[in-house]
Amino acid sequence: MIDRLANHRVARTYVATRDQLARLPFWVRVIVILGAVGGSVLANGDDYVTAVGVSVATYAMLGLGLNIVVGYAGLLDLGYAAFFAIGAYTSALLMTQAHWNFFATLPLAVLFTGTAGAILGYPTLRLRSDYLAIVTLGFGEMTRITFNNWDYAGGPNGILQIPWPNFFGYELNTQGDFFIVGLALLAVAMIFAQNLDHSRLGRGWVAIREDEFAAESVGVPSLRLKLFAYVMGGMWGGLAGAFFATRIGAIDPTSFTFQLSVLVLIVIVLGGIGSLPGVIVGALVVVAMPEVLREFADRRLLIFAVLLIGMMLVRPQGLWPRIRRKPKPFYGLEEEESEDVADKILREHQVQMEERDRRHAAAGRQVPQRGEALLEVEGVVQQFGGLRAVDNVTFEVYRGEIFSIIGPNGGGKTTLFNCITGVQKPKRGKIRFDGRSVVGLRPHVIVSRGIGRTFQGIRLFKQMAVFENVMVGLYPRHRTMTWQAMLHTPGERNDEVRTLQESRRWLGFVGLESVAGRLATELSYADQRRVEIARALAAHPHLVLFDEPAAGMNPTEKLELVGIIRKIRDLGITVVLIDHDMSLVMRVSDRIAVLDHGVLIAIGKPAEIQQNPLVIEAYLGREEDLVEEQAEGA
Amino acid sequence: MSLGWSHKHRIAEAKGGKKGMGEFLQYTVIGLTVGSFYALVALGYTIVYGIIRLINFAQGDLSMVGAFLGWTLLVSFGLDRLPLYLALIIAFVVPMLGTAVVNLGILQFAYKPLLKRSLLAILITALGMSLLLQNTAELIWGPRIEAYPPNLLPSTGFFMGPVHVTYVQIALAFVSLLLMGAMVLFIQGTTVGTAMRALAVDHDAARLMGINVDGVIRLAFVLGAMLAAASGVMLGLYYVQIQFTLGFLLGLRAFTAAVIGGIGNIPGAMAGGMLIGLLESYTTGYLSGKWKDVIVFGVLITVLIVKPTGLFGERVAERM
Repeated sequence: MIDRLANHRVARTYVATRDQLARLPFWVRVIVILGAVGGSVLANGDDYVTAVGVSVATYAMLGLGLNIVVGYAGLLDLGYAAFFAIGAYTSALLMTQAHWNFFATLPLAVLFTGTAGAILGYPTLRLRSDYLAIVTLGFGEMTRITFNNWDYAGGPNGILQIPWPNFFGYELNTQGDFFIVGLALLAVAMIFAQNLDHSRLGRGWVAIREDEFAAESVGVPSLRLKLFAYVMGGMWGGLAGAFFATRIGAIDPTSFTFQLSVLVLIVIVLGGIGSLPGVIVGALVVVAMPEVLREFADRRLLIFAVLLIGMMLVRPQGLWPRIRRKPKPFYGLEEEESEDVADKILREHQVQMEERDRRHAAAGRQVPQRGEALLEVEGVVQQFGGLRAVDNVTFEVYRGEIFSIIGPNGGGKTTLFNCITGVQKPKRGKIRFDGRSVVGLRPHVIVSRGIGRTFQGIRLFKQMAVFENVMVGLYPRHRTMTWQAMLHTPGERNDEVRTLQESRRWLGFVGLESVAGRLATELSYADQRRVEIARALAAHPHLVLFDEPAAGMNPTEKLELVGIIRKIRDLGITVVLIDHDMSLVMRVSDRIAVLDHGVLIAIGKPAEIQQNPLVIEAYLGREEDLVEEQAEGA
Repeated sequence: MSLGWSHKHRIAEAKGGKKGMGEFLQYTVIGLTVGSFYALVALGYTIVYGIIRLINFAQGDLSMVGAFLGWTLLVSFGLDRLPLYLALIIAFVVPMLGTAVVNLGILQFAYKPLLKRSLLAILITALGMSLLLQNTAELIWGPRIEAYPPNLLPSTGFFMGPVHVTYVQIALAFVSLLLMGAMVLFIQGTTVGTAMRALAVDHDAARLMGINVDGVIRLAFVLGAMLAAASGVMLGLYYVQIQFTLGFLLGLRAFTAAVIGGIGNIPGAMAGGMLIGLLESYTTGYLSGKWKDVIVFGVLITVLIVKPTGLFGERVAERM
């Protein structure tokens, strides 16, 4: 009886503690948990256990860094040991040759490895991901061989007698000291990683991982984000390397082999790719398992190989999987009156537009007024082999109108959209937006110039909630810097809250606020198209390109779509539309252009287009053909 | 993790007193011999990659398995007491079949369930497979360097002007050319080969045309493994010494060769293999063996960045 009561009380205390912990901010939790673990290990006083703890901390730091590259950005890095090596050698050389203090070498070690990340990353980011894996492998081996051949760094003997770190006169020389320093560095690395994950960068990385093309097209600078991932991953590795060097006291190239890169990869695969607690779990398994199972220590790589394959086959999400973020949308926002939503958007959007017009005027550029040409397409040619998909097309879209492009399948409509949005570069011709050429710009730059788009085949980020999809669309409008995201500064927090508010407003605008928390793939076809529209609008475009927005919609949904398109126009946003539904196009458009086999055959008001003999011919075939067919039929 | 140890003495042999053109030609002969091994492994990479877009990291390790199977037959089973030609035929054919079975097992057990999943998952699994093969081999054959019967093949040769060419070099180059030629004929000239090429372009279309997609994938794995095993036995015969780690660098160099030739491009892979062999031989001869791999990787990275479709053009359509 007493026993049961006691159990009960223990269970209750446990649950209460857990819930209280969950309510604390992440950084407090990290410090409390790491502090508790560190305290109990140190209180135990066993030097051996402490030493294992230091190794776990080192591997966890490495795992956190590699996790940014592999888990967040989705790039397989097989040469991660190179960063560890560069960090270790930088710190060791500075300490032995220049007699720097260990803590003073840390910024330089991190700076060097970050630079190495940029040098490796910059030229390789456009590669296919499997080639990238091989390039990183080659980079890792090259780095190791270079250290091995570099006499100043001791060649194959490495650097010996690296001094203990000195902390304001106190020499750190016991395993316990290193354990404390290791845990402190680990805590910092974890908090930064968590903050990054929950910032706009984290969202951008998920978007790139899911669909790089779509991410770039809605304004995420994909190459820059991948480069960031490399740089940060490198920096984490440098931190761990410097720590490793001073703790071991002697380093040589054999500490930084391909095997180490694979072990760190195993850390994150075991723990759960993309999961922070998973990294710690993985590091524990990789370091502690060979210690516990002494008799199998020789066979540890065999065991790890089996674990690696087994995990991929049976439990690819890892031992402590990454949890999907923010189960509740708009958590922590005060309620807004929903009737005000449209007004607010309108006001905000007008403010933004006026501000932009003023900026442009101040810069001496001509600002197109309502009814003047906003988008000018002049003599654009796009060719694939012998096929001219777009052949010398010229037209203008006026500010504030709804402009439709129609034509038979294969007419070159989507190709034209791709040219305007920077997905393809036209072979010839000019495309000017707001009086400035956009030819040759990367898609995300064109988005920030003020052109948004949706896709013919829906390209939402499948693993993200609806509201997160819209938040990705807000990426180009963030003003916070990476360091702010890393530190989770008040400025960054405000920016995030604003992003949440706006994404809610845009979802309200298209009528989907109630499903904001669902996964994008759970919605109906028509609703997914509306999410795409909200995502495109979130960047505050001046011009939106909708590629077959009505495809797969039923008549009621189409009617709603017409309403939404008109509402968008009323916001002052110019709309260009591709669609096959003639009644919708005729009803909603101010002007229509007709493309047939890449050639612009007509342009004008809906009534004119309906009368145009060339258009009728393109759609129905020439009259003689009809007559012939009838004759054959008879 | 190095193939360099016995390479060195071959180069040293070559250096003996010769200068200028003679030296250069000598390195060329060595480069072409080694290059033909790389070409065989590269061919395996290219065939498998062409069909399922998988860098089979285990390809180099399959060579290692082949080398050890050949060693077991020759040394432990005393095959070297048989007539030479018979011993060699068995020492090539049995490892090729054995390695093919291993590779089929890998495909069926590990890659098949993952083919529809993300690229990351299957790459990580392939890496795991490479590790598994290495460590299983260590378990079976031990971590020590083992030696092929040193006097199995005659070490004599002849002089072509200043260049010393051994009969072994000629025989090995001949066997690899034979295998490569057979492979090209098979892929270009037979119905199954045509099916393989169709699969390289579009799986679904190939399936709709009635091609047994799974069967063709299995065939690619069998062919890839057989080529790898043959090159492994040749390495053993040429370098004499083998170790369980030899697959790692061999695989990387062969992959580089496949990429240089344009992945999926079969003649390209052969040319790439020769190029890497030559590059390595010249670097070792003129610079120093310790920069050899830095230069090979440097070339790999440069080709991937500057011309990822390879020097001779890629033969696979990028799937969106």
